[in-house]
Amino acid sequence: MATTRDEMFEVIKSNLHKIVEGSRDQEILPDRSMKDYGADSLEMIEVVSRSMKELRIRVPRTELSGATNLGELLDLFERAAQASTAA
Amino acid sequence: MTRLMRDDESRAVITGMGVVTTMGDGVDQFASALAEGRSGLSNWKRVRDPRLACKVVGDLGDFELGEHLATRGAAYPQALVQLAKKLLRATPSSGQLTAVAALQAYVDAGIDARGIDPERFGHVSAAHNVCMPYIAENVRTYDEEPEFIEPLFGMLALDTDVVAVTSELLHLKGPSYLVGGACASGNMAVISALDQLRTGRADAALVTGAPISLEPVALHGWTMIEALTYRSFNDDPTRASRPFDARREGFAPAEGAGALVIETLASAKRRGATIRAEILGGAASSDACRLTKPHQEGQERAMRAALRDARVDVERVDYVNAHATSTPLGDAVEVEAIKSVFGTRAYQIPVNGTKSMLGHCLTAAGVIELIATVVQMERGWLHPTINQEEPDPALDLDFVANTARDARIDIAISNSFGFGGINSCVVVGRAP
Repeated sequence: MATTRDEMFEVIKSNLHKIVEGSRDQEILPDRSMKDYGADSLEMIEVVSRSMKELRIRVPRTELSGATNLGELLDLFERAAQASTAA
Repeated sequence: MTRLMRDDESRAVITGMGVVTTMGDGVDQFASALAEGRSGLSNWKRVRDPRLACKVVGDLGDFELGEHLATRGAAYPQALVQLAKKLLRATPSSGQLTAVAALQAYVDAGIDARGIDPERFGHVSAAHNVCMPYIAENVRTYDEEPEFIEPLFGMLALDTDVVAVTSELLHLKGPSYLVGGACASGNMAVISALDQLRTGRADAALVTGAPISLEPVALHGWTMIEALTYRSFNDDPTRASRPFDARREGFAPAEGAGALVIETLASAKRRGATIRAEILGGAASSDACRLTKPHQEGQERAMRAALRDARVDVERVDYVNAHATSTPLGDAVEVEAIKSVFGTRAYQIPVNGTKSMLGHCLTAAGVIELIATVVQMERGWLHPTINQEEPDPALDLDFVANTARDARIDIAISNSFGFGGINSCVVVGRAP
């Protein structure tokens, strides 16, 4: 069964909590960016890469840089999941 | 005494020490195991590849950073514990172990309370090829899907990350770099740091010995060139490392990290630091031969040059911490080299092998064995060379067989020799 958008968000949130210390006690909202939770550039790469690996999806690096908040990142994840299911 | 010709700015003393080994986490635990002659060797814990011929190892695969910081971390400044959690979370094992040993040495040196100018405080790490399991694992992942390799592989796979992560943790802003010399790396790092201090480029240096995390392909490679023990003691791992004994058959690979804080005598006096020992000198030589086989002449040159550098006559040396890996040829050649350098004095001074208990910590060995040497000097005893069951008639020095004994050590040498004809020797003396 395909992973839902909510399930994908849970994976991202869980990795954000594990990797970005400042995010641990905070509610993670889709209209915020990882930077808002104190993530540095390497931590952002880590959250995205670990989440993609866990969800077994691939988003081209060139597209990832276009996401300005977590909701947009989720959009990219969703599209990648649909593409891989269609394939 | 000519020794006094160096001024306080160019004399180097040890003011902090830390170890993480299979014989103990921390210098006190390590010292107890040394005194008791307790082996840290076992069968594999982490690597479970039945194809590996060598089943004897000093395996730190069960080291848990979180557990260490939660328990022994109570003795560290809490800001450093928090920073360590953040910096070391995704760091491969070798960098974690090195950073923990460094934390211990830093706290032991009392630097947090009585500081050293960070810009005058460097870091020299004995480290190369330290992340082999991490690299191998990511190569396998890459084969499956390139995007799924570890996100920070491009940074963390580099040996230099070992230096960088610990320098960030301890805010060391002086000269920081790696030194590579195969199994002599630890001594080479000590010698390099000593040079930094003597030339005035730094007031202090952290010297770390980073472990080579053990990976089956490297171990199989060493088995193929007959370097490791694998024939007789796989079922009896604590008896496998037996330097000088007639049944020695190869070294037992081991993981272990060590760290020293060294500083000029002037710096230690300014800080009112507790001085553990003085590094009197050190030197290295090459056999100009890429092979793994030891050369007596090169080893002699390293020992003689180190004693010259230390301005110490052989008659004043009262202990040798031998390289003594438990290989048939290596131990025999080293004994001959010691006899040639020390003459009749060789028969009057003890020569022991820390590797009989610890196994061979490879790049970290020199640093850890220098710590073992200082521990014995400070505490007034000699640790045994264990597993001395069948004497080799050709090896007839006092190896402190099987049982520790009291001894006063004022000046000692510690040898480390590496593949590729890299020879080194460090001379250490009682705290001035």
